[in-house]
Amino acid sequence: MDFINPQVVDLSRLQFALTALYHFMFVPLTLGLTFMLAAMETVYVVTGRKIYRDMAQFWGKLFGINFAIGVATGLTMEFEFGTNWSMYSHFFGDMFGTPLAIEGLMAFFMESTFVGLMFFGWDRLSKPGHLAITYLVALGSNLSALWILIANAGMNVPEGAHFDADTMRMQFDSFVHVVFSQDAQAKFVHTSVAGYVAASMFVMGISAFYLLRGQHRELAARSFRMAALFGIISSVAVITLGDVLGRMDYEKQPTKIAAIEGLWHTTKPPYEPWILAALPDDEKQVNHFEINIPYVLTPLITHSFNQPVIGMYELEEQAGPRIRSGIIALTALRRYGETHDKADLNLFNAHQDDMGFGFLATRHAPNQDVTNIPADQLDAVVKQTQPDILPNVFVTFWSFRFMVFLGGYFFAIFAVAALLSLKNRLEANPWLLKATMWSIPLPILATEFGWITAEAGRQPWTVFNKLPTFLSASGHSTGYMVFSLAGFALLYSVFIAAELYLMFRFARLGPEEHGTHHDETDALLSHFHGSHA
Amino acid sequence: MTLIATEELRSMKIFRLAGLALALVVALLFAVFVGDQGPWYFAWVIGTVMIVLISGAGAVLLDAQEDGVANTEKLS
Amino acid sequence: METYALLKLIWTGILGVLFIGLGTMVGMDMGVGTLLRFVGRNDGERRTALNIIGPHWDGNQVWFILGGGAIFAAFPTLYGTSFSVFYVVMILLLFSMILRPVAFEYRSKADSRHWRASWDVTFLISGFVPMFVYGAAFGNILEGVGYHFTWTGQYVQDESFLSYLINPFAILCGLMSVALSVQQGGAMLMLRSENPIYGRARAYGSLGGFVAAALFVIGGFWIAHVPGFVLTSLSDPAMPANPLHGQTAAIRPGAWLGNYYAHPVLWLLPVLGTVCMVGEALLLRANRPALGWWLGVGAWAGTITTVGAAMFPFLMPSTTAPDQSITVWNGTGSLYGLSCMLVVAVIFVPIILSYTSWCYHVMRGRVRVQDVMNDSHSY
Repeated sequence: MDFINPQVVDLSRLQFALTALYHFMFVPLTLGLTFMLAAMETVYVVTGRKIYRDMAQFWGKLFGINFAIGVATGLTMEFEFGTNWSMYSHFFGDMFGTPLAIEGLMAFFMESTFVGLMFFGWDRLSKPGHLAITYLVALGSNLSALWILIANAGMNVPEGAHFDADTMRMQFDSFVHVVFSQDAQAKFVHTSVAGYVAASMFVMGISAFYLLRGQHRELAARSFRMAALFGIISSVAVITLGDVLGRMDYEKQPTKIAAIEGLWHTTKPPYEPWILAALPDDEKQVNHFEINIPYVLTPLITHSFNQPVIGMYELEEQAGPRIRSGIIALTALRRYGETHDKADLNLFNAHQDDMGFGFLATRHAPNQDVTNIPADQLDAVVKQTQPDILPNVFVTFWSFRFMVFLGGYFFAIFAVAALLSLKNRLEANPWLLKATMWSIPLPILATEFGWITAEAGRQPWTVFNKLPTFLSASGHSTGYMVFSLAGFALLYSVFIAAELYLMFRFARLGPEEHGTHHDETDALLSHFHGSHA
Repeated sequence: MTLIATEELRSMKIFRLAGLALALVVALLFAVFVGDQGPWYFAWVIGTVMIVLISGAGAVLLDAQEDGVANTEKLS
Repeated sequence: METYALLKLIWTGILGVLFIGLGTMVGMDMGVGTLLRFVGRNDGERRTALNIIGPHWDGNQVWFILGGGAIFAAFPTLYGTSFSVFYVVMILLLFSMILRPVAFEYRSKADSRHWRASWDVTFLISGFVPMFVYGAAFGNILEGVGYHFTWTGQYVQDESFLSYLINPFAILCGLMSVALSVQQGGAMLMLRSENPIYGRARAYGSLGGFVAAALFVIGGFWIAHVPGFVLTSLSDPAMPANPLHGQTAAIRPGAWLGNYYAHPVLWLLPVLGTVCMVGEALLLRANRPALGWWLGVGAWAGTITTVGAAMFPFLMPSTTAPDQSITVWNGTGSLYGLSCMLVVAVIFVPIILSYTSWCYHVMRGRVRVQDVMNDSHSY
């Protein structure tokens, strides 16, 4: 029997997680900063004040440094679906590949082409013409995120595709369902607006640095004001959409929401407390200590006062019959593949919703073959499989909390910053300026925690309730994985060092008031703009 | 010579109007279809425009505040 | 013919065009990288060589990435299986695609001799290695790859890549691919440079053409003795795309020439390839690089279509389970998926073409002016 080395699966997951998280250190800034540049330039075009052009150009420079690496590292994931997740690509590629391809055609090309024009076209285009280009870059990078999140939503809530017994894979059947799935919509807006928050904090923090040192006041005060207003609205939107996503998980991904909230047992409304902090133990299936707020959980998740949230223990119990049914489905499917007998197909169709749970039992079946489980071992296999339906609770629970706490902090800091900025009392409150400066990396950290929550919470599936992660990987040797991981570690360390060096250098250098370092910065940018690929 | 120039100008204007009309139609169709099928996408579009405008307005307000300060200083 | 079968053929055609485009355009850039240390004897010459492809290389790469996405959607099973079978090759290709931009940016940023020399070596490696493995992978595919599918559709590799990646036939294919890229890179350098780069590019470029033609012909005779694959039965070209059933195949020595014996008109394809390779080499010698460059496109087209015609309908034959070989008929996406992607491509490719050419129009002449004004924008 051929089965995949669990070590290879783990290393493939590690590699994908690291490369994706690395990629996403650069994406949020791109998503938000482009629209902020557009806002600055809009003011420039409307009022004609040159300071806004200087602002757009200065922040554009920092954006450029960030953009190049973001684009370069995005390519890695596209490759990895083929190299490391071959079964996943075969099983889900018919639907999943389409949004990825459209992302390239519709968005990637647009942003890469126009970003060059945005940097170098200031003197070649009319004012509104250049403004339009800036908006196109902003739109392009956000459309890019849109298609990626549509694809990602497909993994979490597979809609617009159905399993087909003749091709043994999910077949794409509705473009509209894929594009307009509720999950895709909420995920996209949440992620895009989280990018706005990251960019606001970035602009605010660097402006605060100048204000503290009394440099470039004209530019810094305006940038700070714009970023604070940008940030306060965005952080409200991020929280709203986060709530929508939580509600969606409650409906479509009960295991994820139970793990996020550390709910081992089904809730008893209305008292049920929301757990602020706890130490979930995946082995013993208990929370070791809890700090909680009573009565909050039920309205928070269900938007009602009487709906229960199903706990992980009960989800495990419910999974038992589904695993049995899934094993029947797979046995029928295999027979159908050999005989093409209608009776087998009908049997499969009757159980096909549970097919994924049958796959999940593979790990515990004798010889890893779910279609030949002796009757006396079936109960044991089902019992062993049941706990597998849960994600890692500790990781999901805490990454969610870090994200939420950070989100609350952003809301607070933006509110204070916007207020003080509107009253022109920033310089009188250096503590706020210092706090924003040190908060620059936090929104990026929060988006990373968001991804960990969403994708660790999706486990054990790559296609939710359809295909388990451990079956999705390519079956090659550990040596391959060591080779590629070492390569990524080397390349990516060099990249991050170069990026941070340039960012600090240009942020310290500040906007060009005397035109002395004009050529140098321009030259560097031209090289970075050339590197999108 | 001038005749040709005005002709050109007129045709430019017509093109511009046609372009504007087309953009409006597309925007309307977008609003109707996306507003119906994908309310959150629609909210994103409207929300982003709003965020951009509000932050821009904030900057313009700062300009006005500083101009006001400068004026009162002049007066006193 | 049924729509689904027709769509399968259309997407196979697009796959072929992508391979030809990749060979011609990205191959050209990589050829310049390979030649960098040979056509440029000092730093100024090397920078000139780099700046000749400076404005174009990243656009070429973006097109290639788009192609990758389209293949994922249109041939999901082929994408998953081939990328995974050629894991090391694909990862090297990926590294070179990430590394080359950095090399372009950083090489001329510092004055140290060692710094620049090491980046020049990076160019050599990231130009030579991907082209070599590109060709070698084609050689491997012609010889067949050891894999099979389990009943769930999970593919299983039956032999380690080390055992087949490097063998005499694959080396021949790899070298031929490098030779073609050197030829195309040489033609591009000639188009935009003056002596002494021009003369050296001419010498290497035409040599590349002759070598490629010689290897191509040798490969042609060799292939007659390589065990080939033949489809012995096919239930229906419009069958559900599933490598597990619906077709049977057999391995027979010389089977790759079967299509040529059945349809002698196909012999025109290798003839086209050889004529273009030799023709380009002669044109470069005759100082006609522009026409030579276009013959280079013909050389790649001839090569890829020759291989394609030999293999049709196979895309990646399996030596250990020939019946499960991935073919045009069992490796594609669904009818809905293929139609959807075709509609999207028909809408967006013209849009992309129009705005990229508009951008080129707006930014026209930039490089020339700045070359004169100062050198800070150049690579």
